[in-house]
Amino acid sequence: MKKAGLRGYIIKRLIYAAIITWGVVTITFVLLRVGPMSPADKYLSNMSARTQDPAQVVAAIEARYGLDKPIYEQYFDYVVNLARGDWGWSFSNSLPVVTLIRRHWVYSFQLILLSMLFSATLGILIGVFSAVKRYTRTDYLATLFSFIGISIPNFWLGIMLILIFSVQLGWFKSYYDTGLPMFSLANLKALVLPVITLGTGMMAGYTRYARSATLDNLKQDFVRTARAKGLPERVVIGKHVLRNAILPIITIIMFDLSGIVFGGAYLTEIIFGIPGLGRVSFNALFASDYPVVVTITLIGAMVVLLTNLATDIVYTRLDPRIRYD
Amino acid sequence: MNHNLLEVKNLKTYFFTRNGVVQAVDGVNLALRKGENLCLVGESGCGKTATALSILRLIDSPPGKILGGEILFHDEDLLRCPEERLRQIRGREIAMIFQDPQSSLNPVFTVGDQIAEPLKLHLKLNSKEALERARELMEQVGIPQADERMKDYPHQFSGGMKQRVMIAAALSCDPEILIADEPTTALDTTIKAQILDIFHDLKQARNMSILFITHDMGTVAGIADRIVVMYGGKIAEVGTTFDIFDQPAHPYTQGLLTCLPNISAQQQRLTPIPGTIPSLIDPPSGCIFHPRCPKRMPICDQEDPPEVFISDEHRVVCQLYKQPVTSPGKTGDTHSAQ
Repeated sequence: MKKAGLRGYIIKRLIYAAIITWGVVTITFVLLRVGPMSPADKYLSNMSARTQDPAQVVAAIEARYGLDKPIYEQYFDYVVNLARGDWGWSFSNSLPVVTLIRRHWVYSFQLILLSMLFSATLGILIGVFSAVKRYTRTDYLATLFSFIGISIPNFWLGIMLILIFSVQLGWFKSYYDTGLPMFSLANLKALVLPVITLGTGMMAGYTRYARSATLDNLKQDFVRTARAKGLPERVVIGKHVLRNAILPIITIIMFDLSGIVFGGAYLTEIIFGIPGLGRVSFNALFASDYPVVVTITLIGAMVVLLTNLATDIVYTRLDPRIRYD
Repeated sequence: MNHNLLEVKNLKTYFFTRNGVVQAVDGVNLALRKGENLCLVGESGCGKTATALSILRLIDSPPGKILGGEILFHDEDLLRCPEERLRQIRGREIAMIFQDPQSSLNPVFTVGDQIAEPLKLHLKLNSKEALERARELMEQVGIPQADERMKDYPHQFSGGMKQRVMIAAALSCDPEILIADEPTTALDTTIKAQILDIFHDLKQARNMSILFITHDMGTVAGIADRIVVMYGGKIAEVGTTFDIFDQPAHPYTQGLLTCLPNISAQQQRLTPIPGTIPSLIDPPSGCIFHPRCPKRMPICDQEDPPEVFISDEHRVVCQLYKQPVTSPGKTGDTHSAQ
């Protein structure tokens, strides 16, 4: 009964997700068509050889990509093609967009995954520790550092880290090398500074959330019950308090996850030359390579939708009081 | 022969709050004997719970602090033993249950797990053995379909059932002493009666010593062997249940008993004790009860009241019973505890 309730809920949410995705697809389509340039113009402006009459070329391109058809037909084709996995052609890379994405997404994924792991683990640890040692020097120090961490903008931190640790000290000089395995030592080393850049702000946030959630739960009666059972403090905190304190933190982590997929990760990739989707879309933007930009926008939207759904499902696992029916 | 299982001597537990120092427990002496049910009664805020929590050093610190006294359990002072030793005693030899079963159970673990937890910790049972034992315990405290229900979470239980779960967890390691801090206060009357039955059975079947804390004199009458009446962080009167109900000596105890509805008397209204409990930050001088006492004497706000033995089992802390010379022996802590 409980399981059926959850399954029904997931199906319902997937239907919602499909509707929202369709909305995003429609909006991106409209935005592209109402822009000042025809998509063909953009294509054309990317072509180096302009020997022929531009008007003829535009007409040819429009015919090839169906841009001469009525707008509703174009829309229909666009949606159908997307659904069939044909996500367009990248002008600037001369590749199908799907191939381009397939080639680069893992690097973004790796950076985001490692940054989340870094910030969540460290943030929760420091936060819980800070709560247990509340109002001591350790706690105040942690508070100070988290406020600094929250206040520093990503891009500035990245540049400063490069300046200090790569340029001055020469500790992290290598760039990410796609020729090497993803988890090779050299590549992991190249990821140290990006992960710190991307993770510090989030870590600082989690420290605050973990601290306050832990403090809230430390006041609960069940903590006293756990102590009255004779459990050592390590188990009282690590099991009874943490399992309850983690719930609000999960929300924030999932929220951040969808946030950095759009923002921080891209910026960090650009600063550190990591060949992920961020850099791809950055290059595509400057080349007016709109199919790439649109696709990456769509992927971002879907990541947000799926993350939210995943959060809700994770909740039912972590908090038995939550039911969806 | 010393048949006191647990002796609390001159216990002082204060809370250091922003508004001042709350003298929640101020020089309390009491003793729990083997196999007895000792009831600690008094109004809310009189230091009953603080006394109980102090026994296992479960006072939240800060703001609470145990400033002095001794708590002797098998001749070991629990206030001075190392934390590690105390953890062996908690849940294993002295178990405790609390007022609000709703919040005292952890919402994210199954009740089976929570009952099994002390078994794994103290008796080193593996998960399977501990859960099997948890199931038996649930049956013993009257939870139907224990097999199924042990996989449920606290929010799926009613208040009374949750308190049964708490009791099962407390009994799991077969402790010598069970401290029950207002275990029936949050429950309906019918459920309360059922839970009190469990306590009754416990004493009969396991010869367990129970320190039962309540503000409800009606509950006390049914289950207590002896009664300790507390007022304002201090002990007012100690005696057998018969002593306290039949010949209450302290004006406060007398007041508590006139507050009880009596079906045989033709009274229309109950007689409350006038006034409210005093602030324990700045308690009244002399006897702490004197501002509310109907038998107040001039000396009451001048001097601390003496402890007087009315009989071997019955002692009272009040100026009314001050005997000129013949106080029994030295009014030392050792005797007063019994």
